[in-house]
Amino acid sequence: MIDYTVLYKGELPVDGDWPLEARWDIFVSAFTAAERVRRVYEKAPAASKHWIVFPEYGFAKEEYPAAAFASLARDEAEYVKSFWDSAIGDIAGRTLGIDITGFIRPYLIFLLRWLAECGVRRFDALYTEPVIYEKREQTRFSDEIVLEVRQIAGFEGTHNPDTSNDYLIIGAGYDHQLIAQVAENKEFSKKIQVFGLPSLRADMYQENVLRAYRAEEAVGRHTTDESSSYFAPANDPFVTASTLREIVSRLDARKPITNLYLSPLATKPQVLGFAVYYLTERRNTATSLIFPFCEAYNPETSTGISRILKYTVELPSM
Amino acid sequence: MKDTTLNPFNITKAVDFSDQEINDYWVDISSGDGFTGLAKPTSPMPMLILGGKGSGKTHLMRYFSYPLQCIRHTQDVLAGIKHDKYIGVYLRCSSLNSLRFREKGQREEMWEEVFAYYMELWLSQLMLSTVLSAVGGTSELADREADVVAELAALIHLRQRPSPTSLSGLNALLRELQQELDGAVNNSAITRTLPVHIAITRGDLVFGIPRAIEASLRSLRGCLFLYLIDEFENLSEVQQKYVNTLLRDRKSPCSFKIGARMYGIRTLSTYSTDEENKEGSEFEVLRLDAILRENKKYEEFAKRLIAKRLAEFNRAQSVPTTLDANAKSLGECFEEPPKSDFSASETAYVIDKYHGRERPYFKNLRQRLERGLKWNVTPGLRQPADIEKVLQLLQCPKFPLLEKANIFFFYQDWRSKHNLLEASRKIGDECDQYVHGTSKGSRHKEGLLHWKADLLAQLYRDTDQPQRYVGLSTFVEISSGLPRILLIVLKHIFAWATFNGEKPFQGSPISMRSQQTGVSEASEWFYRDARMIGREGQLVMDGINRLGTLFRGIRFSDKPAECSCSSFSIDVSRSSETTRRVLDLAEKWSLLIDVGGQPDRNTERIDRKYQLNRMLAPRWDLSIYRRGALALKPEELNAVFDPDHVEEFDKLSEERVARMSAPFFGHVPRALGDMSGDLGLYAEQDHD
Repeated sequence: MIDYTVLYKGELPVDGDWPLEARWDIFVSAFTAAERVRRVYEKAPAASKHWIVFPEYGFAKEEYPAAAFASLARDEAEYVKSFWDSAIGDIAGRTLGIDITGFIRPYLIFLLRWLAECGVRRFDALYTEPVIYEKREQTRFSDEIVLEVRQIAGFEGTHNPDTSNDYLIIGAGYDHQLIAQVAENKEFSKKIQVFGLPSLRADMYQENVLRAYRAEEAVGRHTTDESSSYFAPANDPFVTASTLREIVSRLDARKPITNLYLSPLATKPQVLGFAVYYLTERRNTATSLIFPFCEAYNPETSTGISRILKYTVELPSM
Repeated sequence: MKDTTLNPFNITKAVDFSDQEINDYWVDISSGDGFTGLAKPTSPMPMLILGGKGSGKTHLMRYFSYPLQCIRHTQDVLAGIKHDKYIGVYLRCSSLNSLRFREKGQREEMWEEVFAYYMELWLSQLMLSTVLSAVGGTSELADREADVVAELAALIHLRQRPSPTSLSGLNALLRELQQELDGAVNNSAITRTLPVHIAITRGDLVFGIPRAIEASLRSLRGCLFLYLIDEFENLSEVQQKYVNTLLRDRKSPCSFKIGARMYGIRTLSTYSTDEENKEGSEFEVLRLDAILRENKKYEEFAKRLIAKRLAEFNRAQSVPTTLDANAKSLGECFEEPPKSDFSASETAYVIDKYHGRERPYFKNLRQRLERGLKWNVTPGLRQPADIEKVLQLLQCPKFPLLEKANIFFFYQDWRSKHNLLEASRKIGDECDQYVHGTSKGSRHKEGLLHWKADLLAQLYRDTDQPQRYVGLSTFVEISSGLPRILLIVLKHIFAWATFNGEKPFQGSPISMRSQQTGVSEASEWFYRDARMIGREGQLVMDGINRLGTLFRGIRFSDKPAECSCSSFSIDVSRSSETTRRVLDLAEKWSLLIDVGGQPDRNTERIDRKYQLNRMLAPRWDLSIYRRGALALKPEELNAVFDPDHVEEFDKLSEERVARMSAPFFGHVPRALGDMSGDLGLYAEQDHD
């Protein structure tokens, strides 16, 4: 069984030059209005760089960066496949760096599945921590108009008609409406929340919990005696994956889980952790990644650059 | 350990209950044959069980499911089932993850076929598991199993697969087919192909398993095999069409109960040449919250529900008493304002708070009179001294409620252009007579009968007090037939009472302060939670916000046209298409309650009548009781619910409220026309 915690996690200088291992043949980043996304794109050394523009950010065409890939497809599989076919093609033998900071979650998650299908076994993911979210615990990342809650393409399991011991593990982020919607969608499941601790910045954990509390009625209280809250570092996908494994093992040992739903609503590194865990351990089981798909997302929620983190992600063969 | 340790009302959703708890917390309604009489689990006629969120659909459907039958018949489950005359197979549609059966480069007709096949496999597995649990290991099954399996296996196109030899083997085969199908469906997102071999004809196993079992096993002979399909709103229109077809083509010994939210039925159409199922012919409907709301025994049921929670909560330490005895005494657990003549006790604080200074409602009246005098719209008043005289005549210092009534009557007379000095003198005299009991049929008696709640609400607002939503009857009323609402209100009240150092339900009644804060918090939750999924959710919420604002403006105007204004009537047919759609959604999401029809005052027409969900009343300080209904014009309704007309809302609502506001009552002098903006909803309120 893979030990996620030995996977490489490092930091890149915000101002100085990046080391040789932080150079790629292909570099992909999702365009937003945030300084932390644009600066990293400019700085990243790569033979070929690609901006992608998601329709949910609502940018006008004239705001697109030059040669950016854009599509109005809101289906994550269709979008990613279309980007890949038109801009990347065969990736065999080429190194890949992806800045996950500006990615909208379902696209990022499907991209991992797509990479695995394309035979990518390793790539670097970058994530830039902000100094602060602009409106602190009042920050709205999405417009909170949830269009639907559904499984993410490529992460749909084979489920079990017996629903007597279903679980939903929520990576609890700032958007309490999203937590509430996903909890409502799997109303019958017992809910576990994973909070980002340590958080990206010291005060963010408190803000996170304050927001998540507002979804309390939807998340509900359960008649199980295990704790329903767990913690994983907000900036560490690998510990997040390990934490998920630990939670699931513990629950499964107590009573076999009938169906498992994972919903990563928190930081992008945690989202990465959820997706890696699924691909590595939960494919073809009664497990799905589910997500509340929103009408729109705010393209600018933070200010400043605190740190640039680099993760070397390993993917299983399909 | 149960999670009700700290608060007996913590669990408010049936989904959070274990099967045992569903049974333990079951409370029946004492009219007719109770919920069994309403849901008719032995009836072969399929039934749609419709209700708002929290109406108890899931609790009811789970109560009829096999695991609960086992709990009820611990001694001999099979005998129990035979006695019940049904065996319930429960399915949550959300577990199907039905949204994946679409797009991915495939035609819609393909998905229709695939979903129907998937549902067939799913329902069949649930039915087989239930049957196996009930009769597995019995000699009866051992004798007949081979024949039953052979009969059922013949319905499956096995191709190269070996034929199953037992029911559990058959179930494993169905699981295998389902997993194969899952793989194809899930991979189609990547491959854009959908290689599926459909091995079972629609309905063959769904009806075939019960038929074979019932015919072969004496222990289940005569039983109805009841599919309890919950959360139907999770299926798309084409998916519902498949289930509708099952209902239409139903074969004995099967039947269906379909649980859905009010908005959850997307179609009644079937695959039988697209014919629609008809109520009374192919199915019957149980509208759960409407039935509870209108049921005279609802209050009794609600109290028993609370008493049951408390009994379970205090199981260890309480002296055993009957549920009914506990239920009857529950009202005493909530503090309410003491009953007194003219609400003197409730309003005594006004006397202390404004000792030595003018009471705010007189201050407001003074401002209006001064303004009216300036514009010559105060009949009978000529100089400032007349204003002082009017104010003096309307005073009744010991009884602030009567002062509010005096002012209200004065505004009525003012609007009717009576001589204001004479009017105030008459009102003052009548008030004196009323206080001294010498005027039995007075305007005050009649007026307070209708307007007391509104006048008290205005008084609280004038004097910066929170509105009072207190007392158990109020909470039952607020819940509007949705038991979960009642539990949520009590959950918040209990939490606040505990926080405030009280011991709820143990001696002293829960303070009004805790009740008010709890209700207010529960109302805010309801408002947040009511937000619908999808783009139209925001439209609905915006409309509801405007409606609440309009009602509040009217309730707190000088001379409200309707008492306890929280309902409106409308000729829906004359409103815009968008308005009709949003109105329909608001009703289906239980934000508005359809309270029947109302004849229009000027025509023979019967208009629809809607009440704002009572749970939202505290948000806008509205009454939870329904008396008058505001007759809205189509353009006003459009301004509330149609985004293409919302810019007219402020103007229309200001005009409405201006007609109820002194000094002009909607007749603004031409010279003042340009300044009319401050006559509207937020007409000046002078607060301390």
